[in-house]
Amino acid sequence: MSMAEGLQPDEFAATAARAVAACAGLDVRAQAQNLAGDGLLGIIADEEVGGLALPLGFAVPVIAAAHSGLLGFPLLETILVGRLLQSSLTRLAAAIVSGDKLATIAWQGEAVPERDGGLLLLNGSLARVPGAASVDYILVRMSGGGAALIPVDAKGVVVEDAAGLDLTVPEHVVRLEKVEVPIGSILPAGTWDLLSSDANVLRAAAILGSAEACLALAQEHASTRRQFGHALSYNQAIRHALARQKLGLESIRHAITRSLSRDGGPVQRDAAFLAAVTYGSSISEGALQIHGGMGFTWDVPVHRHLRRIRTLQAQGDASGLISRFGRRYVSEVAPFAEAGA
Amino acid sequence: MSVLEAVSTQSVAGENLTGEAYRDAMHRWLHANLPASFRSDSAAFAPPTLQQSVAWEAAMYRAGLTGITWPQVYGGHGRSLREHLIANQEIGRLAMPESVNSIGKELAGPIILAVGTEEQKRRFLPAILEMRNIWCQGFSEPEAGSDLAGLRTRATHGDGWRINGQKIWTSGAYRAQRCLVLARTGPLEDRHRGLAMFAVPLDAKGVRVRTIKSIDGRESFCEVFFDEVEVAQADAIGAPDEGWAAAIRVLEIERATNRMYRAWRFENELRHLISACKADTALSAMVADRHYAVRLGEVAVEIEVLKAHVETAVEALASGDKIGARGSLAKLYWSESHQRFAALAIELLSQASLPQNPAIKVARRRFEAIYLAARAETIYAGTTEIQLGIIADRILQLSRGK
Repeated sequence: MSMAEGLQPDEFAATAARAVAACAGLDVRAQAQNLAGDGLLGIIADEEVGGLALPLGFAVPVIAAAHSGLLGFPLLETILVGRLLQSSLTRLAAAIVSGDKLATIAWQGEAVPERDGGLLLLNGSLARVPGAASVDYILVRMSGGGAALIPVDAKGVVVEDAAGLDLTVPEHVVRLEKVEVPIGSILPAGTWDLLSSDANVLRAAAILGSAEACLALAQEHASTRRQFGHALSYNQAIRHALARQKLGLESIRHAITRSLSRDGGPVQRDAAFLAAVTYGSSISEGALQIHGGMGFTWDVPVHRHLRRIRTLQAQGDASGLISRFGRRYVSEVAPFAEAGA
Repeated sequence: MSVLEAVSTQSVAGENLTGEAYRDAMHRWLHANLPASFRSDSAAFAPPTLQQSVAWEAAMYRAGLTGITWPQVYGGHGRSLREHLIANQEIGRLAMPESVNSIGKELAGPIILAVGTEEQKRRFLPAILEMRNIWCQGFSEPEAGSDLAGLRTRATHGDGWRINGQKIWTSGAYRAQRCLVLARTGPLEDRHRGLAMFAVPLDAKGVRVRTIKSIDGRESFCEVFFDEVEVAQADAIGAPDEGWAAAIRVLEIERATNRMYRAWRFENELRHLISACKADTALSAMVADRHYAVRLGEVAVEIEVLKAHVETAVEALASGDKIGARGSLAKLYWSESHQRFAALAIELLSQASLPQNPAIKVARRRFEAIYLAARAETIYAGTTEIQLGIIADRILQLSRGK
């Protein structure tokens, strides 16, 4: 029986928003302790590792709140790694859920294994690793669809700053040069695909949070900024632009809900992420436009959200995904034959 | 009529069934009974005559596929909105003709259910479901398209009512028995006040119907002229003023729930398009190529999002939530997405190999008709601009302040 039985996902939104606000100004390890204290790092992890054992849907409002509040912590990655390790590396999973150890995920690139006697050595160039400079472990994809957990302080691991849009949880690149890993840190083939499918739902939730924040900022600006003797929102062009942003926002929200419903499967999860990328980008860019020159300044936070949405788009390889999604869809339809023929 | 002679006359196919068993019964009935000539994805397709459509829709009603949520006392099946969704998903999955009485089933009927008298409910509602009465909608006028507050058709009260004026864009008036007419009882300056609704019999003296040819070559659009048309008090729907306000509430729900099959029909269209392309040498290579795979994938994503809009609205309504203006979101999303898809469909099909194979001929006939008809989708039931206005006013509640 879950300790959180009877709770609804939405009830976590307020807790998460409070926890995110409380993290402001803290370093990453202090943030981890705060978030763990509210149960947010182990929201979907088993109770054996200190988690709440809730379904993925409960992480959606948490991630949305984290991104809406520009939380400077790799929460999406932490939530996924904690659960991923719970059966194979239980003690480490517990340390991640409790905030004592920090982890992230390398979303781009693969580690290539090499045998050296009885040792397994990993080589490779990895990128799109959010917050790698301040974590203890990095989960990397292995060629073949498995995954490996690499301690950042292991010999042969080089973490470097990288060019990247996200200011809130900056990305790094990681080089692996003959990094020795215990066999127990290798997770089986298929791990990565399962992880990616859950990650897509949470990325959609992240974009939802950012897009919600952007639309709220744009709406506030349109209602208070006056030009030509009227609030901006007096003008039909502005009203219609905001209405389209609202349509996009609700489209993301409903697509996530559907992806987690009884009818939801991999197709619906991919669709939720792809829809979130399309509408999230246009909402954040549209919000910037409505702010006019102010939108182009460092101080108005719309650009921080825009940067994150574009970063999430790349971390989830939206371009590759829509291509695979379309090809899979086409391949599953049989050539035309007369019905009943 | 021979095409429909085989249509089952047995009563409600899914009686006493729920959930997936109900879905299965609806699915089996439709597949067993829909004539091939009604299917626009079949080489045997021939647009049904009015008589055939009436017979088919009456059979669908008897099978439990229309009037699903209406109370049994008025001829409905007394089922839930969730079951309405299940039946509509199955309807959408087949390429069947649009209803010739959707105004009766999805507009006039629900309005009568909400504001009609008991006598009106018993007189009108079963006749709609049994297809004895086809309805049309007399709202738009030459001077009042999107802005119904500018209506000029006038209803004067004496011994009963007398209606004078003109309606336009009245789809299907030529084949309808009744028109749901919105008319003004007060001065034009009253705008939304003083509007009343009437169930005007189209065979009444003084009613004249003229068809208008539309871009798809069909003559379904009509103008309807009312010249000193006498309407009995018994055919006035709801009280003046209150009736219109109630109708607006009904229309909000209808916008979210009508033609609930749309997302699943859209999917049927996408799958038909791909299947036709895969039967053609040149197009099968194109749809496997990244460019078109991505564009078709984007359509598939939009269909998933549309399904999400519909299912979320149904869950909200079924849980007792107010739908408010949210129907505008689904309507706007579907209409624009469907237009983009229709343009993609004709773009792809125009690149087919020569000589054209039968699959391409069938698909071109269907998708060229869909492309043209889709141009109306961002105009009817509230234009795109009206929907954006509703979202801005009612959902975002944006200030219009000076």
